[in-house]
Amino acid sequence: MKMISGLDEDSFVACCRLVLQKSEELRDGWRWEQGSEGYLRKTVLHSVSIQEAENSEREIAHKECQSSEAVLLDDEDDDNVAGANCPADPPLWVHSEFHVLFSSSYRTPVMFFRSNTLEGRALSLDAMWSFIKPKLKSSSEEDLLSTVTQQEHPLLGQTFFMLHPCKTNTFMRPVLQAAQRENR
Amino acid sequence: MADDKDVLRDVWYGRIPACFTLHQDQVTEREAEPYYLLLPRVSYLTLVTDKVKKHFLKVMRAEDVEEMWLEYEGTPLKWHYPIGVLFDLHASSSILPWNITVHFKDFPERDLLHCSSNSVIEAHFMSGIKEADALKHKSQVVNDMQKKDHKQLWMGLQNDKFDQFWAMNRKLMEYSTEDGGFRYIPFRIYQTTGERPFIQKLFRPLSADGAVHTLGDLLREMYPAAVTHEGAEKRLQVVIHGIEPLLETPLQWLSEHLSHPDNFLHICIIPVPSD
Repeated sequence: MKMISGLDEDSFVACCRLVLQKSEELRDGWRWEQGSEGYLRKTVLHSVSIQEAENSEREIAHKECQSSEAVLLDDEDDDNVAGANCPADPPLWVHSEFHVLFSSSYRTPVMFFRSNTLEGRALSLDAMWSFIKPKLKSSSEEDLLSTVTQQEHPLLGQTFFMLHPCKTNTFMRPVLQAAQRENR
Repeated sequence: MADDKDVLRDVWYGRIPACFTLHQDQVTEREAEPYYLLLPRVSYLTLVTDKVKKHFLKVMRAEDVEEMWLEYEGTPLKWHYPIGVLFDLHASSSILPWNITVHFKDFPERDLLHCSSNSVIEAHFMSGIKEADALKHKSQVVNDMQKKDHKQLWMGLQNDKFDQFWAMNRKLMEYSTEDGGFRYIPFRIYQTTGERPFIQKLFRPLSADGAVHTLGDLLREMYPAAVTHEGAEKRLQVVIHGIEPLLETPLQWLSEHLSHPDNFLHICIIPVPSD
């Protein structure tokens, strides 16, 4: 496994500062979470088209559309009116979180992410792939699927998906090289 | 004095008696009897509880069954931690057997990883081995092994075969005499308080001037509260495989002899029992 040589925690923190500066300029929403070990964090509220999602995710989208409709309608109105205005394939509103931590074992940044519906239900990996897949045309699907796994977040102890450190190199090298060039 | 190799066997064959009871909210067709099982300290819950699952499935309707998960006194048990670590961390001060509650619905998505098959456990185990070797040997030893060698490590663990496992694992425990030890020691320190699940950082077995680092040195650096000062009352225990090793023990020796099969030293910091 090839690693970006010479990346230590201080360099990681320095690169993160560059990312934060850029993020500030672009209003991209990355923040620094301070702790004994800090990390980059970004949360996004977005709607995703779920045509390719599993049936379970479609059911969630329908239920949430109906429940939000019910809240807007009067109490006395009959139940069968709620949901009448929901489209056949409503968009699923999703709250996603992305964290970039430093792995001292592999001397490379590692990305953790997770998505929840607004009702707090965690999205499965399959559901997430259904709306990430269309965007990733260049990389081999099988390759990517084997490098994203469910993991325990090392600082929060909660369930996240992790992009395997080996693949961080492939994904991140161009980014870090650009950052280092700017630093000179 | 016991041979060092005896320690390896004692660690491998450590067992914890457990009693599995179905959660009262689970709907059953008839009463579910508790199930007793001896759990290997060095294995993983989902690898050794197939019999537990089969036992309780007999009294349940198929439509009430989702992925099985286990809990102790309200705390979901993380299957991806070695069984011995879970016990030392959560239940060591309780009377045996370890009373574990079994659930088949309301899987705690936020707290537990899914485990759909043994390949998930294998992948998790192998990634631990690879990470440990990245720390010990810059991944050179594990990368020099063939796929069948990796398989042998996993099969040894899965089938409880000490000799099969160690025939391959001994390679991961080697180091050159001029190095005097591993590059860094793979360890995780677990605590029961706070959000952070464990502490894992870089730490060398020898200091810059060649002095041997001990367990005490590691703790003074990573978890000073666990090292009691003279005259002070001892509040915390430092537990590895259910025992409290002397703080003077060389870390390199601990790494070679008291690591789990994933090649990590899993260290639990727990409060001194109040009784």
